[in-house]
Amino acid sequence: MSDPPPEACAADHCITCNDDGVPMTVLRLDAGAGLAECTDAEGGRSAVETALVDPVWEGDRILVHAGVAIASLPAEVGP
Amino acid sequence: MKFVDEFRDADLGRAVAGEILSLVEPGRHYKVMEVCGGHTHSIYKYGVDDLLPSNVELVHGPGCPVCVIPMGRVDDGIALAHTEGVIFTCFGDMMRVPGAQGTLLEAKAAGADVRMVYSPLDALRIAKENRDREVVFYAIGFETTAPSTALTLKRARAEGVANFSCMSNHVTIVPPLRALLESPDLRLDGFIGPGHVSTIVGARPFEFIPADYGKPVVISGFEPLDILQSVAMVLRQLAEGRCAVENQYTRVVPYDGNLRALEVMAEVFELRPHFEWRGLGFISHSGLRLSEAYADLDAERRFNVPGVRVADPKACQCGEVLKGVIKPWECKVFGTACTPERPIGTCMVSSEGACAAYYNYGRFARDREVV
Repeated sequence: MSDPPPEACAADHCITCNDDGVPMTVLRLDAGAGLAECTDAEGGRSAVETALVDPVWEGDRILVHAGVAIASLPAEVGP
Repeated sequence: MKFVDEFRDADLGRAVAGEILSLVEPGRHYKVMEVCGGHTHSIYKYGVDDLLPSNVELVHGPGCPVCVIPMGRVDDGIALAHTEGVIFTCFGDMMRVPGAQGTLLEAKAAGADVRMVYSPLDALRIAKENRDREVVFYAIGFETTAPSTALTLKRARAEGVANFSCMSNHVTIVPPLRALLESPDLRLDGFIGPGHVSTIVGARPFEFIPADYGKPVVISGFEPLDILQSVAMVLRQLAEGRCAVENQYTRVVPYDGNLRALEVMAEVFELRPHFEWRGLGFISHSGLRLSEAYADLDAERRFNVPGVRVADPKACQCGEVLKGVIKPWECKVFGTACTPERPIGTCMVSSEGACAAYYNYGRFARDREVV
């Protein structure tokens, strides 16, 4: 099979446009911007909008979809 | 269970498969629809269906937002992308969806400034970095994604980003399910409900399925064991002669959803009277457009969008695939004229699409041997 087109999502399926959620951990809060710097299981980092799950704190686990946290995750729970 | 490996444990999977076997009646054929494209992807990636008895069939529903975009809306997007001064932003899979006028990727090759984003917030950032250009975000997705678009529009308003606008193709999950249930050529025994859509809307909106149609619904997570357990829960309801909405994905989905997300959606969006779904036709109150309060950020009002309607390609049977009437490999062009590299139908575009999932994980070869 040929390589995927360069504009296709890099992951093995589209992480943003479908019903997908990525568990992430909050590293730092930027309260002024309403964003949190978060990391996923592979160490990837991104700025996440937290308005739908506030308040969040450093170390909290959240479920992220299309750059927005859509749910808080209990600490001792899997994917 | 705390870690990914435990949700993919083969021994646990076989134990649930044994439970499933004990729940089915020999001689009865069970059809269970997984509504969500994410589930379809997981089922074929991990071979979940290989663990099911032969009389339990998983039917792939309309839950891939790329797959249900009609060709006319793609052409509208392409027209917007070619508008002078516009930077057109969208999610990656959307760029390969064919309309009658080609794809957004081809529009980009022809000179349009089309850019892939992973989040609506990325599109807003592009707008802030290019104040002399108009930046349009082509929004797709179910209720999982709509709050992200809504929050971005609120942020654009708050930050005064006047060169940002949105063409909304957001859709809602309940109307197409009701349309499917009313379809005379469909026979289903139960549903695997969407996991992350339910994080937003909760489990309550699905109560009409057992109440009005007498069929069980189990909201499911996305790991292989989640899906197997959900199939078992559907079959257990059937074996016990009852039907209800049950929540397998309790670690993420609250029964009432995310009320803050529902509030922000209600502020920014309103229901369209009708919206066209690929293969399913027009469905009342199934699409979201920007509300009057956000009309100034609505790309369909800011620009001259053609609003064309294009019939689906005759060779393509995406509609029957989306309704679960045929399996992907039963489509006349599957794997020959229509492949992930050169898709005719949208189900072959996104890897969440049933056809692409079959194709990418080699399922068509095995199924054809069976036939």
